[in-house]
Amino acid sequence: MSICRKACIAFVILALLASAGIAQDDIVIDFYFPSATANDAEGIFQRYADAFQERNEGITINPVFTGSYTDTRNTILTELQGGGAGPDVAVMLSIDLYSFAEEGYIIPAQGFIDAMDDGGAYIDDFFPALMANGVDEEGNVWSIPFQRSTPILYYNAELLAEAGYDSPPTNNAELVEIAQALTTEDRDGLLVPVAGGFPIWMYQSFAIAYGQNIVSDDPTEVYFNTPEAVAAVEFVRSLGTDLGVGPAGGAAWGDTPVAFLAGQAAMIYHTTGNLSRILDGAEFEVGVWYLPSGPAGDDGTGYGSPTGGGNLYIFDDGSKSDAELDAIWKWVMFLSSAEIQADWGATTGYIASNATAWETEPLASRAMEYPQYGVARDQLQFADKEFSSYATITVQGIINKTLESILTSESEDAQAAMDVAQAQIDGILAEYK
Amino acid sequence: MKPTGGSLRRLATIVKAVIAIAFLIPLIFTLLVSVRPEAEPVTNGNIFFGSELTFENYERAFVIAPWSLHYLNSIIFVAGVLLVQLVTVTCAAYAFARMRFFGRNPLLMIILLQLMIPSGVLLVQNFRMINILGLFDTRIALMIPYWGSAFGVLLLRQTFREVPIELEEAARIDGANLFQVIRHVYVTNAIPAYLAFALVSVSSHWNEFLWPFIITRSQEIRPLTVGLNKLIKTTDQGAFYGQLMAGTLIVIAPLVMLFLLFQRQFVESFARSGIR
Amino acid sequence: MRLSTPPKPLVARLQPYLLIAPTLILVLMFNVVPAVKTVTDSLHKPARGLNAAGKPPEFVGAQNFHDLFDESHYLGARFLRSFRNTIVFALATVALGVPLGLLLALLLNHEQPLLGVWRFAVFYPSLLPLIGAASIWSFIFSDSIGLANAVLRSLGHPGLNWLGDRTLALLSVIIVNIWKQAGYFMIFFLAGLQNIPRDIYEAASLDGASGWQQFAALTLPLLRRTLLFVIVISFIFAFQTVEQLQALGEGGPNDSANLLLYLIFQNISERRNWGYVNAMTIVLIGVVLTFTLSNFLLFERDESN
Repeated sequence: MSICRKACIAFVILALLASAGIAQDDIVIDFYFPSATANDAEGIFQRYADAFQERNEGITINPVFTGSYTDTRNTILTELQGGGAGPDVAVMLSIDLYSFAEEGYIIPAQGFIDAMDDGGAYIDDFFPALMANGVDEEGNVWSIPFQRSTPILYYNAELLAEAGYDSPPTNNAELVEIAQALTTEDRDGLLVPVAGGFPIWMYQSFAIAYGQNIVSDDPTEVYFNTPEAVAAVEFVRSLGTDLGVGPAGGAAWGDTPVAFLAGQAAMIYHTTGNLSRILDGAEFEVGVWYLPSGPAGDDGTGYGSPTGGGNLYIFDDGSKSDAELDAIWKWVMFLSSAEIQADWGATTGYIASNATAWETEPLASRAMEYPQYGVARDQLQFADKEFSSYATITVQGIINKTLESILTSESEDAQAAMDVAQAQIDGILAEYK
Repeated sequence: MKPTGGSLRRLATIVKAVIAIAFLIPLIFTLLVSVRPEAEPVTNGNIFFGSELTFENYERAFVIAPWSLHYLNSIIFVAGVLLVQLVTVTCAAYAFARMRFFGRNPLLMIILLQLMIPSGVLLVQNFRMINILGLFDTRIALMIPYWGSAFGVLLLRQTFREVPIELEEAARIDGANLFQVIRHVYVTNAIPAYLAFALVSVSSHWNEFLWPFIITRSQEIRPLTVGLNKLIKTTDQGAFYGQLMAGTLIVIAPLVMLFLLFQRQFVESFARSGIR
Repeated sequence: MRLSTPPKPLVARLQPYLLIAPTLILVLMFNVVPAVKTVTDSLHKPARGLNAAGKPPEFVGAQNFHDLFDESHYLGARFLRSFRNTIVFALATVALGVPLGLLLALLLNHEQPLLGVWRFAVFYPSLLPLIGAASIWSFIFSDSIGLANAVLRSLGHPGLNWLGDRTLALLSVIIVNIWKQAGYFMIFFLAGLQNIPRDIYEAASLDGASGWQQFAALTLPLLRRTLLFVIVISFIFAFQTVEQLQALGEGGPNDSANLLLYLIFQNISERRNWGYVNAMTIVLIGVVLTFTLSNFLLFERDESN
């Protein structure tokens, strides 16, 4: 190679660098992501973007941090309603589907999946429970699982052993018995974080355990005043009142893992998103088990929890070219691949969303070292859909406020309060039938 | 019985001390928690100190956001806002304080509406305006809604009205033009009010979160509060108080130092204007 | 005299308008004009149900307001409760925070040892970002691992559920607000006190007036303008409180500590509620405007006397 050519190449490279590394005809994908963990999400996504760009010439990923899930939703809505371009791909709550689909901001992933050679295999690799919130009532896939979680039972194995319990509770009767045995003056037996504005998720665990999820595949139906739904909230309330194993009104979300790590709570309900923090931070043996079944089953059939967390959404108002959409789908495929899911899951503690990821490093060895990760994964077989309906935010608001009034005993009569809420919800959802 | 001067002073000192300590408790604990191991909350053993002094919270907080970049951005932001504000506010305040013109009160009312309309509910429309101006994701977009300040106009208008009119008349007789009058008569005599305004403007914009967050996407121009937000929104893993306190201290440190430095200027200029 | 004055040249007549133009244009662009849309939106009901996107909203007159004042409507009970809380919150801030700010200014007005430290101690809260300040207090108020309860429990008290108890939550938010703002109010009182000539006090002292008499007869009347200014801004700011609620219990159990602006934020992102949130915004602006205007008019009348 002549010196002249080398100089030429050097010049071209410099020119490329000078134009901020983005070649003129590169497709740029704006990727908005929330952060709900204490990890350096910005750094991690930049690393993923670099790895992706290396393999996909001509595509540039622009990762943008957009706050919490709520911040992310509001940022995107403000931008789109204010005439902005919005993101190309974003991570948002799996339950945001109907809000964004209603506005016509997002497109289904189904079209891309159908165009794949092995689309069926791609979808089948995801855990079915994690797909539930991303599919509409006609079975079209809209969003792809990315950072998912479920509530799970964490217990201080040493405290349980001291009290003579070798295994965690598997149903509510055992849960209460152990919690009462472990409650002392400076320690709560069981913390269920239903205080602080968002009780619905934890509450759903109990409703499912009692045999009736409050939501179905039909986004116009909600079952909030059934006998099971009422019994579930009455049970949660009694934990803080009659049974006295935790604070009245429930524990605050953010403080619950801190109290557990400090040995001030023997058992907690919390998200699997916390697994890495708790395992790394605990100075005692941490046990993890499925959420206990309610009275519905005594042989494990009543296990169950809602799913939670964020999915990948594709934004298009119909103006994007095939080349752009192709690039967008490549990025979605990349983030949902076993390779990235294994890395992201091991780093944060979110449940890697497809089966192959669990056989991929670094997650495979992490799960080997800490079998607790496997429990979180295996609970998925009992997991059910997280609450989502049309007008999700409004309906969720009604449910949250009603639950709070019952849990703090402002409304003594749970059934009456839930009947009022159900009537309001039915009124809203009737508009969608 | 009338209290003597001495006992009154003692009482004042006691009241002062009680209030100051009560106000300082959150700051003291912010500091203590920031150097306490994350796994040892205050309810576990000693309230003041953990088993060791640690800087791991700071180390982790430092990794999460590019603080020096955020610092620079915040400084450019608040300085850019304040400098323009000083000009717009002074002009408008003088007109409203000392000039008679048709529509004076209604126009002042329109400007004061800014104080009464919560800007948070106007995000979508303000976004649209910025988008039309082609300023989305720029430093100007961050600053421009704050360049007009009803608060500043109100504050300085009151202060200007306290300035004796004779001073202006004397200056006019000496041949001063409008801008010389404003500069030498009004600005000079309103330094404490300017300091109060500057302090309020800088501290409120330093802490502004919602607008900078909504209107920027590039890390290169985002201010400190966006970085702090990352430490707060750790929802899926619960609270990290140590790390959060460390981050809060990182964010406010320069402002605190500025105040402590500024404080002397503050007292001196107050004293000067007192002699007048 | 007036009759003989020649008419002002055009430039001179335009001068005041040129001076206020920058402020006026910016305020119109970013505040007033967008707010006009709030008024029209508050009188409309967005299209709802399937395929509502793209359909125009329907004019409904005052129906949105009517719904908000209806306890059985899904936002009615929440609105009424938050509205009541906002009034209590604003009055408490004015009634407790403003006198505290004045007291601090009186105590810290004169040259004295450690003046910088005293002033810093009460002023630093207003230097904290709201979200940071609220997070610090969420640590203090935490039920299980909080500082306040750690202290209470060491004294043998079982502790209080500061943010989780519906009878306490609003009080906790008020405490944080007063702590955050008293030093801020102090700054304006300090600036105001500087405008009072010292010799007035010297004359009063010679006449044998006590400290309290001097305060009531001299300081307070002379601080009237500042006092009104601070009362007005503290009231306005109280109505615009929002960011700290994110960390302080999200409005408390069943909205027991929720404030109007936060309720607006909680419902703004769903199209179906736009009529309601705009109606709430109008109510909020209406209350603040009435309060400010009446103060302003009283004040102006006072001035012209």
